[in-house]
Amino acid sequence: MRVPVQSQNPDVGFQIAPMIDVVFVILVFFMALAAQIRIEQILQTKLPGVAVASTSTGFFDEQILQIAEDGEVTLNDEIFDAPDVHDLPQLTNTLGQLKASSDAAKTKLVVTLISHPDSAYERTIEVLNALAAAGVTNVTFTATEEEP
Amino acid sequence: MASGGGGGDGEPEFQIAPMIDVLLVLLIFFMSIATSSVARYDPSIQVPVAPDSNKKDDSEGELVFNIAWHANDRLATTTYEEQVVVPADTVPTLMARKKANSQARVLIRADAATPVRHVQAVVEAAAKAGINDVTFATVAR
Repeated sequence: MRVPVQSQNPDVGFQIAPMIDVVFVILVFFMALAAQIRIEQILQTKLPGVAVASTSTGFFDEQILQIAEDGEVTLNDEIFDAPDVHDLPQLTNTLGQLKASSDAAKTKLVVTLISHPDSAYERTIEVLNALAAAGVTNVTFTATEEEP
Repeated sequence: MASGGGGGDGEPEFQIAPMIDVLLVLLIFFMSIATSSVARYDPSIQVPVAPDSNKKDDSEGELVFNIAWHANDRLATTTYEEQVVVPADTVPTLMARKKANSQARVLIRADAATPVRHVQAVVEAAAKAGINDVTFATVAR
């Protein structure tokens, strides 16, 4: 039987063209994957801890922020901005003033946020955004106990 | 006057080596974007907008809770490590994570329309586990 001759030179060597093909396919895959990724940011909060202080704690200035079920925001029982106003300019401005006066008096500004359990999470984030814009970092939450 | 060089005669040939270099750099770039942490994020969740939120520095010690809100059924589903959980039941796990890594922090990714009670449940679980660093995922616009 006659055996076909494979080629003159059986040592083919490294082929660059298929490698580029594969690299292109992988590149397109990751580009498509990356296009779907939304860059997320964060709003940081610190819950009240149980750390033992080595030095005496100074006075702090506590403000109560409440969010009603319909999205109405009150600061110390005073209503700020309408529920459909998302950027909360009045609240941001007032919080900025409170922060400035606390800094001037060298006291710590602590804001306690009380959200109605059925209010939209988006509204809480809008208030947290206003706090971040005003430079208020000490935010605590209160959880409403479930009714039996 | 001698003119600036340019080399030999004829047109420059297509160089394959620099093209491969560029290709590999692009490949590494896009691979680095698609990090493993992306897998922990539920892409169906529409997180709320917060223009003044901060850029996230790193994902170290991050314990991600996804809260999906199904408006039609008025039902929220909380997932942690790709499993549907009741937030109160995660306290022992969170305590163990906090013990293993003191930098542990909770990241809450919730749909914008989710009622706050479901978010509060996760915050409460974090507080019970001794994790006081709680962050909320947002988008800038």
